Amino acid sequence: MVDHAAIRDVAHRNGPSTTLLLILRLRTFIALALVVAFFGLMAPNFMSVANLVIVSKHVAINALLAIGMTYVILTGGIDLSVGSIVGLTGMIAGALITYGIPLPFLGVVVWPNVLETMAIVLVVGAIIGAFNGVLITQLNVAPFIATLGTLYVARGAALLLSNGATFPNLVGKPELGNEGFPILGAGTLFGIPLSIVILVVVALIAAYVAARTPFGRRVYAVGGNERAAALSGVYVNRVKLAVYVISGFCAAIAGLIVSSQLVASHPASGESFELNAIAAAVLGGTSLSGGRGTIGGTIVGAFVIGVLSDGLVMMGVSEFWQMVIKGLVIVSAVVLDQMQRTLSRRARLE
Amino acid sequence: MKKRSAFAAAAMGLAAGLMMSAAAFAADGKLMVIITPSHDNPFFSQEAVGAEARAKELGYETLVFSHDDDANKQNELFDTAIARGAAAIVLDNAGADATVAAVKKAKAAGIPSILIDREINASGEAVAQIVSNNYQGATLGAQEFVKRMGEKGNYVELTGKESDTNAGIRSQGYHDIIDQYPDLKLVAQQSANWSQTEAFSKMESILQANPDIKGVIAGNDTMAMGALAALDAANRKDVIVVGFDGSNDVRDAIKADKIAATVLQPAFRQAQYAVELADKYLKEGKTGQDEKISMDCVLITKDNADKLDNFALAN
Repeated sequence: MVDHAAIRDVAHRNGPSTTLLLILRLRTFIALALVVAFFGLMAPNFMSVANLVIVSKHVAINALLAIGMTYVILTGGIDLSVGSIVGLTGMIAGALITYGIPLPFLGVVVWPNVLETMAIVLVVGAIIGAFNGVLITQLNVAPFIATLGTLYVARGAALLLSNGATFPNLVGKPELGNEGFPILGAGTLFGIPLSIVILVVVALIAAYVAARTPFGRRVYAVGGNERAAALSGVYVNRVKLAVYVISGFCAAIAGLIVSSQLVASHPASGESFELNAIAAAVLGGTSLSGGRGTIGGTIVGAFVIGVLSDGLVMMGVSEFWQMVIKGLVIVSAVVLDQMQRTLSRRARLE
Repeated sequence: MKKRSAFAAAAMGLAAGLMMSAAAFAADGKLMVIITPSHDNPFFSQEAVGAEARAKELGYETLVFSHDDDANKQNELFDTAIARGAAAIVLDNAGADATVAAVKKAKAAGIPSILIDREINASGEAVAQIVSNNYQGATLGAQEFVKRMGEKGNYVELTGKESDTNAGIRSQGYHDIIDQYPDLKLVAQQSANWSQTEAFSKMESILQANPDIKGVIAGNDTMAMGALAALDAANRKDVIVVGFDGSNDVRDAIKADKIAATVLQPAFRQAQYAVELADKYLKEGKTGQDEKISMDCVLITKDNADKLDNFALAN
């Protein structure tokens, strides 16, 4: 999570600028500690275990999206389609539970059970991600434009699926063998909500892959210097395709969780989630130009955003102020990021 | 080469699809343009369905658009309607002030606008403004809420999008009733922007800050459903929830004793009435009614929930 080598590196020189640099490097943790302490004092019950679990549950959805987003941003790309994928995959889950898979030429309806439904939805998420990846790597569409296109197509598809209506009451029917969908959103493992368990598992895998595997190194290499990576034998296009698949897959997990929590799929759900995911990654120190950032940082970034919005709701602060405060926090994070880069460049030069 | 031909095929397929949908507009008849907020809320999709069905019965071609609560997009849709030579526009608008210019523009082009559901802050521009009496409806919902609460206890209010006039009017209606009972205490008030997802997560946080709540009153049904999901997740089956709109989801929740009440706005009938007035205006040059027409809302509880379907109450 923390770049220990860098901290040692900085800490053993004892100048005022190096101490400042250390603080700047740890800014996301400090920000999180500050917001948690602030709400602990100001909002009733904020520090209760039950509330911290709820906050984590809310953070989990954004953090899952932000993990996929971090991979994409590390390669120098961006994925604006994740919010729409949340909506579309949730709707597909809703449609599968409500209508099954009708096979008109056989005159039968196949009813997948809940695990099969989830598997189908996850595959769909990965396919949409692959579609983004193909647009970007094979047809040379800029990531911003390709995924913007997918943002609209996926949202439109979600609305078309039900003509704009909600799929309500997704509890399934015993005679169809498709009960149990709400468990994902409401169930627990050892008292911990499943969405948090899923986040922990996905985050650990994602952090391990990014930091310890050849694939992870290639992701950083592509974002750091694409041409150098290509010249040293990295199949740049394969890496890029893979990160969009990862992002689409993560968005599908989030889509399933959102629908399961509401026990209903709404075609507009996930709107502007992509912006929260990007904000979490940036707050966590991911550079939008690629090559720099960590999964751990992103998770902390997602917690800063989540704690902030839940805490402000608990304090009863108006929606308008919530928006202003969130925006200021994101911009300050980037300003601090720039300060850190300038300072570390100077420290290296000394 | 192969790749290119696949593209050509895909492009042709898309073009054919577009032409087929364009064919629906091509017939030479009088055109009624119907513009509402996004159909992802069943309330607005039923408005569109009601208006479209009535217009077709009366022999009009129809074009149905959604402005997604974006006044700029609404303005562009008005340009489209004018360019297409529409006979009349039926509109559920995107903002009381931001809509005035668009309606004036249509009037200048000789196209009458009939407004439904939401008013605009100008008179003499639209031919008619048919609005559910949101204030009256809110007082009905609030009276039932007070009754079910037993006139005392802590409650939460989830309000709609703060830029929407109806969000303010409903909240006012709720408070004008509830505030008469000093033992009913508002412990949290948040906007959930009409959204189910937002209502869910905000309700979860509010429950943490205020575990001792007895009721939730929401500015519309989607937020009531979001709050209900959060209450269910926290195993709080005792909390009294009241919504507004009369959607089928909430009707089913009322029948299952999960939601106490909602207030039906006659969206379907209202949209049909708007088309009838437009037709009359086009034929006779006047609607024969005042510009502002108010339609009363109806309280929906377990007693009459069975009769409710798609925003219409069977007799």
